[in-house]
Amino acid sequence: METSPSVEHGVHGHHDHVHGHAEHHHEETFLTKYVFSQDHKMISKQFLITGMFWGVVGGLLSILFRLQLGWPNETFPFLETFLGKWAEGGKISQDFYLALITMHGTILVFFVLTGGLSGTFANLLIPYQIGARDMASPFINMLSYWFFFTASVIMLLSFFIQTGPAAGGWTAYPPLNGMRNTAIDLGSGLGFDLWIAGMALFIIQALLAGLNYVTTVLNMRTKGMTMMKLPLTIWALLFTAIVGILSFPALLAGVVLLEFDRLLDTSFYLNNIIINGHLLGYKGGSPILFEHLFWFLGHPEVYIIILPAFGIVSEVLAVHSRKPIFGYKAMVISLLAILILSFIVWAHHMFVTGLNPNLGAIFTLFTLLIAIPSAIKVFNWIGTIWRGRIRLTSAALFAIGFVSMFISGGLTGIILGNSSIDIQLHDTMFVVAHFHIVMGIAAFFGMFAGVYHWFPRMYGRFMNETLGQIHFYVTLVGAYCIFFPMHFMTGLPRRYYSYGNFETFNNFNNLASFMSVVAIIVFLAQLLFVVNYFYSIFKGQKLEGEYANPWESNTLEWTAPVERMHGNWPGDIPTVYRWPYDYSTNGNDFNPQNIPLKPGEATH
Amino acid sequence: MELTLNEKKLLKEQTEYTGIHPQKFGLYIGMASMFMFFAALTSALLIKMGDFRVWQNFRLPVIFLYSTIVIIAVSVTMQASLISYRKAKFTLFRTLLFVSFLLACMFLLMQLQGWQILKQMGLPLAGNLSGSFIYLITSMHGLHIVGGLVITLVFLIFAIRSRKDPIYELRSIINPKRQLNLEMLVSYWHFIDAVWVYLYLFFYLNYR
Repeated sequence: METSPSVEHGVHGHHDHVHGHAEHHHEETFLTKYVFSQDHKMISKQFLITGMFWGVVGGLLSILFRLQLGWPNETFPFLETFLGKWAEGGKISQDFYLALITMHGTILVFFVLTGGLSGTFANLLIPYQIGARDMASPFINMLSYWFFFTASVIMLLSFFIQTGPAAGGWTAYPPLNGMRNTAIDLGSGLGFDLWIAGMALFIIQALLAGLNYVTTVLNMRTKGMTMMKLPLTIWALLFTAIVGILSFPALLAGVVLLEFDRLLDTSFYLNNIIINGHLLGYKGGSPILFEHLFWFLGHPEVYIIILPAFGIVSEVLAVHSRKPIFGYKAMVISLLAILILSFIVWAHHMFVTGLNPNLGAIFTLFTLLIAIPSAIKVFNWIGTIWRGRIRLTSAALFAIGFVSMFISGGLTGIILGNSSIDIQLHDTMFVVAHFHIVMGIAAFFGMFAGVYHWFPRMYGRFMNETLGQIHFYVTLVGAYCIFFPMHFMTGLPRRYYSYGNFETFNNFNNLASFMSVVAIIVFLAQLLFVVNYFYSIFKGQKLEGEYANPWESNTLEWTAPVERMHGNWPGDIPTVYRWPYDYSTNGNDFNPQNIPLKPGEATH
Repeated sequence: MELTLNEKKLLKEQTEYTGIHPQKFGLYIGMASMFMFFAALTSALLIKMGDFRVWQNFRLPVIFLYSTIVIIAVSVTMQASLISYRKAKFTLFRTLLFVSFLLACMFLLMQLQGWQILKQMGLPLAGNLSGSFIYLITSMHGLHIVGGLVITLVFLIFAIRSRKDPIYELRSIINPKRQLNLEMLVSYWHFIDAVWVYLYLFFYLNYR
């Protein structure tokens, strides 16, 4: 059995001096400090850096398929140099094209925007902002990162096998993915088995991490930190974890059945399959069953991605506009409403599967209901920055950019949520535009806002502001240039290798080239961010003083010393007296949560 | 069962908000997650069962009823071993823990026997879906049992080792962490047993 440091700390008393347990951790080696670390701050950096690695890989894959889409008739000899048989004669093969879009989706959705985003900020912010020395179980926390790492290694390995990585779409629909057959070995062979193994480990990671987050938030808060005094980041991360805990098991069940079909020849998803003129023995299964299991996670998954961004943006906007968050309670309730609704809308991804139209109507109704809490949140963010004294730092810019992206992408969600319209738009570029803007770019903006805002907390230095601003403007304009035109590529199906051959779609060729050029520029801007990140770790402007509060923020993470230590606070854990969003009240610019109320002062 | 002052304080501090020790709380959340997994599997069964063209109905082999009785017995002996631990009756505790371990192994063997019977009934794993689902769900539940067995084995080894060391025994009883771990193990067994009872009732109602 593990001996959890939280118990050790407790033995010395909750408010004991940190030296008490510093003794326990004095003999830290490189291995326990940087590799198998149980410290939430180090684990958060591990998640972020692994996420950034995957972000670059996933982005690079999109550049490769944008080369094909932008210039379908050109050849790029350098591609053959790097990709070998996947790009013979400098042209990406059709099989590899499908593998590229599959892995792009998998990597970005799961490894960057789930692992990288909530892994980073839940680990960094939960103990700091609720006033805890660490997670409820630092050991399980460490385990969750190493499951993530192993899942990453397996996923990465699948690029280097003879039959190539999974190519059946990030949704992994059977029947194509449901069997092992030499006829469909490319993309559905070993590569797909590795995909399933990687995803299974990823799911275990998400569950371990999630139960730790929920336990920590509900049990380990410091004195005075009632639920209604929690920063919105914590609320959002708590709800994200709950969504993950309840929905990821469904995907696990889905892929277990899939692996049964593949390895043990059961027919859960397969029925009367004919390959090369031979009828295979599968009988009675239905791929629709997989779609139900997949989307029971798949839809909540988009909220797992966007909820942490909601939380980060709420915090960053309030701090950088020096105003209390507008409608704190409404923000919490709308997060809760989104959590509940996220579980009863999954079939809106399945309107074209032959779903009973009456059932479709119910799913349409629930889907459209999500617009209400989302609109409340947007209104409150705008209400928060309205007439604020906005400090246009990179973090604030990205948070404002998030709101813009979320509105643009959210509006098309209302269109797609209607079953009758969705049947026309299903699997077209309109859908690609919608989800890239509302959960891809928007979630990235939330993540960037968080990284720029909490970088000083992580490393005791600032990130370079000029590079940050360039990063923001290029990404904002570029993202709109790439994805906005997709709305108007009427009826153009997604996932097509080339559409120049279709009379109807010929006129999109120039537009596609333009989008590809912008995509390359935006990708370079992200590399600028990576450079800025690593440069700033070593050379960034240092925070001044032993205790620094660079953004003049109320929350507890800035009451800890700049020098990071095990246990976070050298002395007692701060006690909380105030609401985290008391900006420009009581005659002060800001009122940190740990300052006792003076006579005559009020908190929210 | 006297706790030292600091340990009392620790338990109080960490259960201030929910009244449950954080690690136990984490286990309960894990249980919610595991239950969702089995709920997803049984929902999948329900969806396919509605498809009358392919569903071959059969009566559930009676061995699964016997295995259900065995797994309920595991819960009883596990609980009894926890009670005897609390009362510092270590010999009884060790015996009951060992009996639980054996009963759980017996449960697994009975499940394997159930597979054999299904196969003899003309329902191999890769046959009709109605049979495949039984193999699938029992094997997934069996994996959870195996997990429980591994951890129980660790406890058993510790318990047997401490047999000749009364001081060690005494120390372990005043160690709240050790008792907490045991309580968590017993909770896990109750949970995974309850899941099987749910699964058995589910099968019983749907296969007839």
